[in-house]
Amino acid sequence: MAETCRQFLADCGVSQDRLVLEWASAAEAPRFVELITGYVNTIKEKGEIGSADGEADYETIKRRLTAAVKAAEARKPRTALGTLAKRLHKDGDYSKETIAKGVASKILPALRAERLKEEMLLLLRDSSMDLDGLCKALSAEKKEIERPLAQLIKKGIVKEINGAYQLAS
Amino acid sequence: MVQENVAKKENEMAREGFEPRILGFFCHWCCYAAADSAGVSRYQYPPNVRVIRVMCTGRIDTRFILEAFRCGADGVFTGG
Repeated sequence: MAETCRQFLADCGVSQDRLVLEWASAAEAPRFVELITGYVNTIKEKGEIGSADGEADYETIKRRLTAAVKAAEARKPRTALGTLAKRLHKDGDYSKETIAKGVASKILPALRAERLKEEMLLLLRDSSMDLDGLCKALSAEKKEIERPLAQLIKKGIVKEINGAYQLAS
Repeated sequence: MVQENVAKKENEMAREGFEPRILGFFCHWCCYAAADSAGVSRYQYPPNVRVIRVMCTGRIDTRFILEAFRCGADGVFTGG
């Protein structure tokens, strides 16, 4: 789950180091203090969300994460998470590399597809856009968004007028 | 309006020296108890973490973490 979050955050333009998962038992107060102090210092160095190296600006991050929350609720990625957990259990291999590889190949594509779809709806709610504009705003490839866009048109949620897309109200 | 105020406030904060807003998800039986005993034994640690106590770290979902960042957290610390 933590690995999924980390990879998905990176996909949304947030630095992976902003999320940590640490262990401290009830008897380990000194260790806890050490962990918290270390972590707060790392974040202080990084600065506000959206200001560290390789991060998108906060407005973009906010829009992406709004879509990402919806994507994380979708059935496909959640099933993928369950399937991966089952496979890991069956193989008995819980090494970091295996998990990272599994997440990157199975869960992340599903999450990303859902996120792009939701983000597209958010963008089109504000204004109508053409395909190139959508690609740029989503920082995605054309082939990635053509299919979900076609599905949305088929469902009657989005309509196309002279190459520009907008929500069908 | 609210957003403007928040932005203004954030700028002020940035000028005064950056204090990160960190959300902590602490397990009731482990990390939360560790934090409690750290307080009782008067260890000093930074006050930037806002804690949400969960009954088990396994309760935490991808959505919680994404939502935290969406609401403007600068970091999320999960403690089991």
